[in-house]
Amino acid sequence: MHPGRQLAVLGLVFVVLYLLVFFAGGASGSVANRLHPKLGLDLVGGTQATYIASVQGGQVPSKESMEQARDIIENRVNALGVSEAEVVIQGDRNIVVSLAGKADDQLKDLAQAAQMRFRLVTGVTGDVSETALNPPSAAPTPSAGASAPAGAQPSTGASAPAANPGASSGGQGGGEVMQAPTPTPSASAPATPTPGVDQEVTAAQVQQKVGPAAWAAAQKLTGPVDLSTDPTAAKPFAPFAKLNGAEVNALTPAMQFNIPTVGCSQLDQRPNGAIDNVNSQVIACYSGAKIQLDKAPVVGNDISKASPQLDQQNGQWVVSLDFKSEGSTKWAALTRQAFNATQNDPCFVAAQSLSQGSEHCAVAVVLDKTVISAPVIQGVLTGTSQITGQFTAVSAKQLADQLNFGAIPLTFSSGPAQTVSATLGIQQLKAGLLAAAIGMALVAIYAFFYYRLLGTVIFMSLILSGLLTFGALVFLGRTVGFTLSLAGIAGFIVSLGVAADSFVIYFERLKDEIHEGRTPRSAVPRAWVRARRTIISANTITILAAVVLYIVSIGAVQGFAFALGLSTILDLVIVFLFRHPIMTMFANTKAFLSPRVSGLGRVLRRPPTEAKEA
Amino acid sequence: MARTGLASRLYTGEANINIVGRRKTWFAVAAVLVVIAIASIAIKGFHLGIEFAGGTSFSIPAHTTDGRTLTQSEVSDAVTKAITAVDPGAEVDAAQKVGRGGASETFTVRASALSASQAETAKASLVSDLGVPADQVSDDQVSAAWGGQVTRQAIIGLIIFLVLVMAYLVIRFEWRMAAAAVSSLLLDLIFTAGVYSLVGFEVTPSTVIGFLTILGYALYDVVVVFDKVQENTRGITAGSTRTYAEATNLAVNQTIMRSINTGLVALLPVGGLLFIGAGFLGAGTLKDLGLVLFVGMGFGVISSIMFAAPTLSWFKDHDPKIKAHNARVLARRSQAKSGDVAPRGQRPATAGAAATGGETPAMAGSTTPRPGARPTAKRNTNTNRSGGRPGGGNRPSGKRH
Repeated sequence: MHPGRQLAVLGLVFVVLYLLVFFAGGASGSVANRLHPKLGLDLVGGTQATYIASVQGGQVPSKESMEQARDIIENRVNALGVSEAEVVIQGDRNIVVSLAGKADDQLKDLAQAAQMRFRLVTGVTGDVSETALNPPSAAPTPSAGASAPAGAQPSTGASAPAANPGASSGGQGGGEVMQAPTPTPSASAPATPTPGVDQEVTAAQVQQKVGPAAWAAAQKLTGPVDLSTDPTAAKPFAPFAKLNGAEVNALTPAMQFNIPTVGCSQLDQRPNGAIDNVNSQVIACYSGAKIQLDKAPVVGNDISKASPQLDQQNGQWVVSLDFKSEGSTKWAALTRQAFNATQNDPCFVAAQSLSQGSEHCAVAVVLDKTVISAPVIQGVLTGTSQITGQFTAVSAKQLADQLNFGAIPLTFSSGPAQTVSATLGIQQLKAGLLAAAIGMALVAIYAFFYYRLLGTVIFMSLILSGLLTFGALVFLGRTVGFTLSLAGIAGFIVSLGVAADSFVIYFERLKDEIHEGRTPRSAVPRAWVRARRTIISANTITILAAVVLYIVSIGAVQGFAFALGLSTILDLVIVFLFRHPIMTMFANTKAFLSPRVSGLGRVLRRPPTEAKEA
Repeated sequence: MARTGLASRLYTGEANINIVGRRKTWFAVAAVLVVIAIASIAIKGFHLGIEFAGGTSFSIPAHTTDGRTLTQSEVSDAVTKAITAVDPGAEVDAAQKVGRGGASETFTVRASALSASQAETAKASLVSDLGVPADQVSDDQVSAAWGGQVTRQAIIGLIIFLVLVMAYLVIRFEWRMAAAAVSSLLLDLIFTAGVYSLVGFEVTPSTVIGFLTILGYALYDVVVVFDKVQENTRGITAGSTRTYAEATNLAVNQTIMRSINTGLVALLPVGGLLFIGAGFLGAGTLKDLGLVLFVGMGFGVISSIMFAAPTLSWFKDHDPKIKAHNARVLARRSQAKSGDVAPRGQRPATAGAAATGGETPAMAGSTTPRPGARPTAKRNTNTNRSGGRPGGGNRPSGKRH
């Protein structure tokens, strides 16, 4: 390629990068604002939230479970982007998370309690709350009511066997489900209260709100109201549609399940921990249908380890579960119950509604308030089991994380997010930049001393490298949340020094070629070919290190790997698009060999001088 | 500058220092240092920073009892004073202001782990020094901010990297070069870790980050040297002028100036960091990073010259093909010795001094940078090149004309 053309490409790279910096990725505000890289916690401070762990019974949480929770919370924070978050355990039960910049939203759900339950699916009914309230004038098809919310239902990573909307035609499983305990108003769901979020609502209060008529009607229900035969059957229950999450939670499970006007949107609003109770039946939503779930014989605590795996046979991602020894026995018992169920079992009917033609019962995997998947059990499972579904690598890992998290017997409540000041602050940033200036000056002085005027090329390429790096940092800070800590700045300073080295390789090669008697015109391309080979091999190794560390590691190491890869790639850009064409152009000038310009003439002038000295 | 001085000969790649020939010395030195480093790591361990070991966190209200608002540096200084009074060896991090303004604002400061009584004493002196309400000053244990998981994943990453880079080097060079390069890298890492353990420098996250930077850097340096070795030894068995070790030594000499330059160019900014970090700021990220890089990169340069190439030649000498070749070269040389090789004896005195002491004086002789010997050397390299890469050298220049 012609040197001019390479320089033109470099110019284009610059123009595109700085256009991105100024106009893309949510750039806004003044010129100075658009040129701000995202600085780290240590330099500009950030947001901090404290999560307080609680265990049932009010004991002090064990050290191990706090460590586990810390690791998982750290994973969750790091999944938010390439920023360097800090997660520490403070005291016995606090986990303190700090993030750079304003990050209230990101901190909100980090320590969401994660309670894992495995429950037999004992009943399925469509979420008909919408049609129940507004009976369509035309004869309603029950599937219409059920499938509409199904589409709106966000799937939680695992979209396992989708519920068959047609199967949810009113209360098919309802008759049998009535082995459920007779609703007693006092049996308010034993939710773990979430302090400061929801107030405890009693069944009596709800009874007052919906009015005695609706309450009485609801109590009389023995199964889900079948709207397909009588579209107006939901009328008496209309007041229930106005209940909020906490109020719905005060209803008995059977009422939540049977009342047609109680929908998934309300169920999903129930307070955290609403369906945690192991010893009671609960109602949840799955694929747009309400499902009734049995007591939970197996809980997250019984899992020893969950991990994402790629099924070798069909190339699908699954989540593999290992149970603790006691958990394994319980799990085997649960799956035996599901596998051996006969046609008369309520769970059998429910499983058929979930997935037509299934011969066995389904077990729902419930995390907090969400049914992650409800696979039909295909055998009595002992030991390691797999959860299958339409997982991707990401969603399988996410589920495994959640399961591991669910294995920790802790519930967290979060205090308000607070701002924290920088630990190091602007003074240290300035010192860092001063160090950079000193370092660069030393490199420049050395380059000028050793390579004479060619030092200019080194100097200019360092400046260009710096500008490219800065642009990339600003842009990446906005788009992928790349955060620059003081360590990062120091890393970039060092990488600029290493970048200067690819010039040294090139130049020493050039010297060799000229030493062997070539003219600069022919030596430059020859030296380039050889130096290029060396530079590419050496940089490949660095990029390899960066990529491996980026993929495998987490936290600060991952941020470092990102910076390393970025600076190496930018180094290659500068070498190929700047140094080489500039040198080619230089080689064509007469002054190139003069000692004052390059110091290269020395290797040629040696023999005569030596003769003189000898 | 004296044209025949060592600097000048370094500049032209003809320093002719016998490095590979003294490989037994380097191996012995390396072995002793590795033993010391590993012993120190095993017995003494590392001095872990608060980020790894956890510690005590103090919470101090931002407002004094008489309504004054404290500054960050005031609090930092007071805490440092209070804590060093009870435990002189303790580390104290900078203060951090927490809160959204108003009366509830606090400062938190982290320090190394203190016993309950030490923390009580420190709290009491903080209350009197800063004039803050005693009941609002609290201390708490904090865990490591750098979880074990981060370290574990980083180590897994390191192992995967070593396997992949080994594979890459095997493809790019050959397995012996790959093994020599990776063992030189491991040596760097062990030395650096050993220095940290021995001197008792504090290990912080910045140290670990710097440590990982050395990874790429040390290999980078070795690859450059090996690239030259590969070029010099291509088709070596066809001729019988040099043994493999001699050709390697020549490559090391030809790249020694580059290694020194690279070392200087990379160490200069690191030196800047260290100077500012340690000189002006005392402690902190800049010092930690500067220090580990300085130590690691320094070892990187030295080991790429003194260890990687000698290891390679040692591996190579066990290759039957090279073994036979070396024997042939030496046999021929001893034959020729009795004949006419007089001009080769006229070496510059300094070069002679540098070369004596090696086990094979012939090595120095064969690589003597006599101007008279140059045409031979040049012809050799040319033959080798066109043999190894047909037309490779000339094609690009032809394209450009």
